[in-house]
Amino acid sequence: MSQEHIALFMFASMMLMLISGQRVFGAIGAVAAIAAIALWGTGGQDIPFSAALKLMKWYPLLTLPMFIFMGYVLSETRLADDLYRMFHVWFGNVNGGLAMGTIGLMVLISAMNGLSVAGMAIGATIALPELLRRGYNKLMVTGVVQAGSSLGILVPPSVVLVLYAMIARQPVGQLWLAGILPGLMMAALFVIYIWIRCRMNPDLGPVATDLDTVTPAEKRRLLGAGILPLAIFASMMVPFVNGWTSLVESSAIGAIAALVASLLKRRMTLAIFHTCTKQTLAISCMFMWIILAALGFGAVFDGLGAVKAIETLFTDQLGLSPWMILILMQLSFILMGTFLDDTAMLVIVAPLYVPLVGALGFDLIWYGVLYTITTQIAYMTPPFGYNLFLMKAMAPPEIGLRDIYRSIIPFVGIMALALAIIMLFPQIALWLPEYVYGK
Amino acid sequence: MSFLLRFARRIDSINTAIGHVIMYGVYGLMGILLWSSISKTFFMPTQWTLEMAQFAMVAYYMLGGPYAMLTGANVRMDLFYGNWSLRRKATVDVVTVLFLIFYLGVLLYGALGSTSYSLGYWGTDPIAFFTGLVTGTEEIGRLERSSTAWRPYIWPIKAIMIIGLFLMLLQALSELIKDMARALGHDIAEVKT
Repeated sequence: MSQEHIALFMFASMMLMLISGQRVFGAIGAVAAIAAIALWGTGGQDIPFSAALKLMKWYPLLTLPMFIFMGYVLSETRLADDLYRMFHVWFGNVNGGLAMGTIGLMVLISAMNGLSVAGMAIGATIALPELLRRGYNKLMVTGVVQAGSSLGILVPPSVVLVLYAMIARQPVGQLWLAGILPGLMMAALFVIYIWIRCRMNPDLGPVATDLDTVTPAEKRRLLGAGILPLAIFASMMVPFVNGWTSLVESSAIGAIAALVASLLKRRMTLAIFHTCTKQTLAISCMFMWIILAALGFGAVFDGLGAVKAIETLFTDQLGLSPWMILILMQLSFILMGTFLDDTAMLVIVAPLYVPLVGALGFDLIWYGVLYTITTQIAYMTPPFGYNLFLMKAMAPPEIGLRDIYRSIIPFVGIMALALAIIMLFPQIALWLPEYVYGK
Repeated sequence: MSFLLRFARRIDSINTAIGHVIMYGVYGLMGILLWSSISKTFFMPTQWTLEMAQFAMVAYYMLGGPYAMLTGANVRMDLFYGNWSLRRKATVDVVTVLFLIFYLGVLLYGALGSTSYSLGYWGTDPIAFFTGLVTGTEEIGRLERSSTAWRPYIWPIKAIMIIGLFLMLLQALSELIKDMARALGHDIAEVKT
């Protein structure tokens, strides 16, 4: 068998194992172990374990449990309730204002945690019922919560970018900085969309009528709620950007800041503390074991030299330009994302796409942002989007799966637009890291 | 079957107990990293914190892994799996979990080899080395140290990984037994967090 055939065979058996429903890390790891032993005999048997040593030495991975913990503290203690009220009071008197406020809320929550789940939980349990009660269009509202929560993986701190960094061997700090402007740009596009839609059809987002009783003093007091996320974010990012602490140390400071904030606001109970601790272990382990298996898989793949073979196939035999290949890759990625979950995608993308992008001469920091946005889209697209099911589980019963499917269409369109803009103007992503690291 | 199920329950309770202790490790990790940033900002940067944190992380996910598996934290692709009946899921799992067990076995073997290297054994048969250690025919040789300024010995963390992988393997066996029982129509409750 030639290298391409072995590579293809490995992918096919991995897909088969994944579809069987076995734990993702077991499916990937087993294929890697079997392939390694079949290819290299006794030399191959150490490959799966050497991935564990590689994992240990990869310092930024320590941020993972910290951010997971932060996310759980934020969503379990409902620390964001005041924040929601702030946006509510300040934006409520415009058509669609509450929906725009929800996007703002999601940006702030994204700046405090690295997964989209926390944003989703907060959006679906706090914002969604309120917005529905005020007569907002349910398609609009569910779309807003889903699109907004997906910002969590683009705005730093971002767990997805940490995982990407590990696989692409790129600095996490630069990747995070690269995610900021695209994330804000995408949030702005969402807001513009809501504004236009509500302008054309005010029934989609009626003006809140119960806000006249709120005194100006109360309004100003609520503005204080916005200080909390900014303080948590600043406690992490200021020491890091100034070079006082490393990224990993900053993540621990952020986790402690979130814990302290929840204690100060008297929201932390023993039961919640227990849940947060236990969930952090469960989710961290889930991620770590998948990465462990994926690294083993990637090592076998590297050893095969399969990437080079595939690159030659595209450029020499099919005569495609690098840009054509990149666009094809993004399209196939979105397609895969519709039926794979994000971790499985990462594993497939890891050994194949990232080295290929590098070999084609593209910037891997920039590609990290494209990768993340594509993941966001994949998260949200039916029939098998991770966020779709989460949304169904968390949303009030009057919102059906059909509504959820329909609600995301315009937002996916906007995300595709953002993707195209960043592909055309890489500086949107690259300007900030170059500015911070270049000084 | 009932004997096997008792065995499975025993493993479950051991791994639950370990998991309930190890889950607080996240605060230890936080503490190490906090001390690292404090000492870096105000005093002399410490040499040991970075590696200590890495070791703690490894212990955290290796020893916590079995408990995570027990509570069903490991994601599965539920394209078809999600729609199956409990019995059907178990029947398929009985077969596919063997792959998981194989993978964990290879990992464990690799860990044994790597640990024996850290204890100064350069041969190719780690199991012979460890049995030799017990019977007295083999001796511990040059101990491997990390190549950093702190230079800690490497074998303790590798030993922890061996324990973790062994527990993981036991947990996978427990899952196999429970899946077998479910496939045969027994009613075994799933452990949820």
